[in-house]
Amino acid sequence: MPDDAKKILVVDDDPDARDFFRTVMEDHGYVVACAKDGNDALAQLNEETPDLVTLDMTMPERSGVAVYRALKEDTAFTGVPVIIITGISEDFRQFISTRRQVPPPEGYLSKPVEAQDLVDIVGRLLGREAYQS
Amino acid sequence: MELEYREIFDAMPCFVTVQDRSFRIVEANRRFRQHFGDFEGRYCYQVYKRRSERCEVCPVARTFRDGESHESEEGVRTLTGEELAVLVSTMPVRNRTDEIVAVIEMSTDVTHIKRLHALLGRSQRRYQALFDQVPCYISTQDLDLNIIEANRAFQDDFGSVLGRKCYEAYKHRTSPCEPCPVRQTFDDGRSHTREEVVTSLDGRRRHVLVTAAPIRDGGGQVTRVMEMSADITEVRELEDRLTQLGLLIGSVSHSLKGLLNGLGGGLYMVDSGLSRGDEARVQKGWSAVRRNADRIKAMVSDILYYAKDRVPNWETLSAADVAEDVVATMEARARELGVGVEVSTDAAAGSFEGDPQAVRALLSNLVENGLDACRLHDSPGDHGVTVRVRGDDDDVLFEVEDDGIGMDRETQEKAFSLFFSSKGTGTGLGLFIADKIAQAHGGDIALHSERGRGTMFVVRLPRVRRGGAAETAPPMTKGETIHA
Repeated sequence: MPDDAKKILVVDDDPDARDFFRTVMEDHGYVVACAKDGNDALAQLNEETPDLVTLDMTMPERSGVAVYRALKEDTAFTGVPVIIITGISEDFRQFISTRRQVPPPEGYLSKPVEAQDLVDIVGRLLGREAYQS
Repeated sequence: MELEYREIFDAMPCFVTVQDRSFRIVEANRRFRQHFGDFEGRYCYQVYKRRSERCEVCPVARTFRDGESHESEEGVRTLTGEELAVLVSTMPVRNRTDEIVAVIEMSTDVTHIKRLHALLGRSQRRYQALFDQVPCYISTQDLDLNIIEANRAFQDDFGSVLGRKCYEAYKHRTSPCEPCPVRQTFDDGRSHTREEVVTSLDGRRRHVLVTAAPIRDGGGQVTRVMEMSADITEVRELEDRLTQLGLLIGSVSHSLKGLLNGLGGGLYMVDSGLSRGDEARVQKGWSAVRRNADRIKAMVSDILYYAKDRVPNWETLSAADVAEDVVATMEARARELGVGVEVSTDAAAGSFEGDPQAVRALLSNLVENGLDACRLHDSPGDHGVTVRVRGDDDDVLFEVEDDGIGMDRETQEKAFSLFFSSKGTGTGLGLFIADKIAQAHGGDIALHSERGRGTMFVVRLPRVRRGGAAETAPPMTKGETIHA
């Protein structure tokens, strides 16, 4: 894979979801790192800034929210698009609407995720610059 | 008789007769003659009552005897055969030497009054029947909130309340409720409604919808307020049940979406693996398909269990046997997760009455919970679940203990509710169902947990069956109620 391949951080507490998204993204030329919970995600974000983050909002102890805040409030991550992957998008839309200072995510996907939808939205957000296999 | 007396005599709105000592009518007014005919030479008992001899209790006779006025109520028959009720009043007529020579008898027609009286009596009896039969609590209070009247239902469920303050009888309070619909009605003369929770004599709390209505006196003043309370406890319980169902559906949807996502992921890997000839990928994908399909199956099974009528199939069970069975069943799963599971029983475990399938499901759910808690730990292989059985005279105790990740306070509080599982792929139903089963057996589950250290569930089941919990459990299926 070329050195300038885009890097995606997949945050999800379900191992099957992590495998799924990683496989799909790698098949389409992206480099993928996975985090299994909020703490893991924040630790990895401290090490390296990804080009895009997919974030499962229904992880236990609202850790998804903590990661989202970090991504949106810390200037280090300005310009990193965030796709919220959630089983219940209504809950999250409500969450967003009650906190006006927090900017909305760049994309939403509901589980169960269609592989093509994921590819399309990531492609759109990253300008389709990844090498396509 | 003097002319003016004659006019008054004739004009009086009652039957007037004058009788001599032998009860012969010597004088009668026009009204009398109109209704009873001529009187000349006839006796009052003949004319009034078509009798051939004196009435036994005769006010005229008494007046002759003692010179006082007397009254009585009599039934008489007119010329046309009409039966009348009359109120009779007698007065002595004295001569110059103060001897009683005659008695004046005045009879007022009270027939219509009697009829009204009877109607009133009937009305009152009907009101009383209504008051007592109506399936809600009715009481009447005065301005000081003393209970003046209370219907049967009220007295049955709240005791003898007459004369007591309503807030004391209904709610065991020492002061009026705030706000008080009865007082509001006294204030503005309008009806007021409020929902309240009251406690009956048997200790049951009931939700009631209270309506206070004014009762006015003749002058339009509100002198009493009637308080009517409809028991809506069942409605509230059904509402709770609907809310639970709503939560269940939410929980199930969420879990289902996660599982379908995993399933979809597996399928993607199988498809792409096949088209690339990447066998490793196919294997990995297929095991994800298997895993998620199993979980979906388990979840559907949980839901069906939840929806089914849960009357226990009572049998006598050996506590130790049940525990050992459950652990044996869970061993395969434990191995798969790389976590340990074991059972330890003591001689006092003994036997108890229970539904074998339900009790096993209960314990399996708890063990499963423990296995997951260990799996999520950093080094799952070093952790495990232990099932212990103990007992005392009354109860059997199953302890399911793990040294997994434990639960924080918030999770502990929500553990048994229809809550999104704290594990990403949990159904949120396992502990809820376990709790329901325990309750259906008249027992309970206690939870002790410390984050990072582990969790212990203590299931207490009575040795002798108690259907107590079933009476308060909400109906499981539409139209059916569990009766122990």
